[in-house]
Amino acid sequence: MASVKLKNIKKNYTKDVTVIKGVSLDIQDGEFVVFVGPSGCGKSTMLRMIAGLEDITEGELLIGETVANDVHASKRGIAMVFQSYALYPHMTVAENMGFALKLSGVSKTEIDQRVKRAAEILQITHLLDRKPKALSGGQRQRVAIGRAIVREPKVFLFDEPLSNLDAALRLQMRVELSKLHQELKTTMIYVTHDQVEAMTLADRIVVFNAGVIQQLGSPLELYENPSNLFVAGFLGSPKMNLLDASLVSGDTKGATVRLPKGIAIKAAVDASRAKANDRVTLGIRPEHILLASEADQNSIPARVDLIEHLGDHVLAYIEIPGVNEIMSMKLPGHATDLKYGDAIRVVFPEVDCMLFDAEGLAFKRLR
Amino acid sequence: MSKKATKALELTGQYLGLIAFAIFTTFPFLWALSVALSEDPSNIWLFPRSFLPTDPGWAWFVRVFNEIQFMTYLKNSAWISLCTIIGTVLISVLAGYPLARLRFPGRGLIFVGIIATMMLPSEVAIIPNFVTLKHLGDWSTALLGFKLTGLNTYSGVYLPTVAGAFGIFLMKQAFEQIPQDLIDAARVDGAKELQILWRVMVPVSAPSIAALAIFTLVNAWNEFIWTGIVIQDKAMLPLSVGMFNDLTGPFAVSTSMVMAGIVLSVVPVLIFFALTQRYFISGLDGAVK
Repeated sequence: MASVKLKNIKKNYTKDVTVIKGVSLDIQDGEFVVFVGPSGCGKSTMLRMIAGLEDITEGELLIGETVANDVHASKRGIAMVFQSYALYPHMTVAENMGFALKLSGVSKTEIDQRVKRAAEILQITHLLDRKPKALSGGQRQRVAIGRAIVREPKVFLFDEPLSNLDAALRLQMRVELSKLHQELKTTMIYVTHDQVEAMTLADRIVVFNAGVIQQLGSPLELYENPSNLFVAGFLGSPKMNLLDASLVSGDTKGATVRLPKGIAIKAAVDASRAKANDRVTLGIRPEHILLASEADQNSIPARVDLIEHLGDHVLAYIEIPGVNEIMSMKLPGHATDLKYGDAIRVVFPEVDCMLFDAEGLAFKRLR
Repeated sequence: MSKKATKALELTGQYLGLIAFAIFTTFPFLWALSVALSEDPSNIWLFPRSFLPTDPGWAWFVRVFNEIQFMTYLKNSAWISLCTIIGTVLISVLAGYPLARLRFPGRGLIFVGIIATMMLPSEVAIIPNFVTLKHLGDWSTALLGFKLTGLNTYSGVYLPTVAGAFGIFLMKQAFEQIPQDLIDAARVDGAKELQILWRVMVPVSAPSIAALAIFTLVNAWNEFIWTGIVIQDKAMLPLSVGMFNDLTGPFAVSTSMVMAGIVLSVVPVLIFFALTQRYFISGLDGAVK
């Protein structure tokens, strides 16, 4: 097992095309870190650089205490699981899993033992003599993970390993990966664009965008306190409602903003660095918007645009007069009496409102 | 017309077309076979009567074995073809892999250069190759005391043909189709470039290699002009040249015997094709996704 340290890593494909723009990151020994971000944000490139499949243009990569920039992929003590599984089609499952050991000259008996042990962990012992083409997608992915396990690596790298699986299998494999991490306690770095995978698997999430780390922290920390608009909009499903507003007043104890048509909303943030009339963005998650009665003084009028019943909860898309964006709100599953066109009133609780300045940086929440 | 009838008509049309094409391509061989099997040659020039053997029997085949050195020629053909196939596959694989998968300056230019050789007729190379081969033979005799290669050697026949643009192009295309993830996986597993090539790329490209082997076999088996120029020793001649020399010309014995010889010379290629056919089935199943 080993820690992984990235020191100001950069990657250029040509002089002008920079895909990773100076990433520094400390991954602790035994930690499960998830790189998440939209397509093309550089997260896979980052992983491939750690794996040794891409050259590092600038900066330093340490795996354990060793500078690994120029170490061959096979000598870094890493194992990688690919999105496409990348199984050798001409080898049996056992041969696939033992290939790395065979190349490094491990004795046949030891290869057999280690392959068997890994197969037991993944419950694929009965598949060992089959060729990859005789396996289902989930089984292939298990073999790919098994191939990584037998090498007993210091660091596991996963490149969107569940993207090709169907929803049910993805859920199952996610749980198994989580268990595997608890069992092996090996450092794992996992790349995905699926925020549910990120939230459920990670000890820490690293949010990438355009080759830069946007934020780094535990899943809940990122969800509760996104540092900027990108992270706020990226994590959470449905995504956070973001509304343009202007600041009426703000100090260390809170802020009041005005939506178009003069609707005033309070947010529990430290807005002392802003001044009145600054353009800001108000953010509130769908599950925090509450239905209110006519009598509630702080409530805002709205109109139901669409209702989606999802069993355990109801998603309501609502329009607020003067606000261009359609907002989503999450209601309990029994709130089934709402329908298209209903006039309702909603409340944005002060403690749940977030505020972002004109540059998109969050104001500190007061909680 | 009902849907079923249309479908039936369509199928009939397709099969008629296929059968017509099959007859068109195989009729020279069928005629040769029929003539070779006719012990009585009186009908062989009558169409369509000649397509049915008259007085069928093996007599002409027996005469081929008895009157010419068929087995010697066959052995020579087999040896030359085998060496050509091994050499061609080896060189095409080794040249195709870097062109397809490694980044180095001038890669595109080298590939264009190789492809450009396809534009020239192969006859252009006969004289320079002959001169080169003669000198190589002289030098090897002077340096080593024996003729490693040169005129009147088997290697003189196949060496000039093993590095061909077609084979390199075919293998380059085959290697380009292999997903990058598979190569990356092998690299992470600790494989060096040559191990990636021989342990992953080559087995996965088996169908393309089989195709290349077949093309090479057919070309090598039928090669006539170059072999006829290089080999002077009758005992070293392959089937194509040996049979032509023995069975045709002013002292030709009979058309029937020529046809029997032709049929016999085609059979080994058919057997080889039957044996390698299963490798044409896709090799990439199950690798990715």
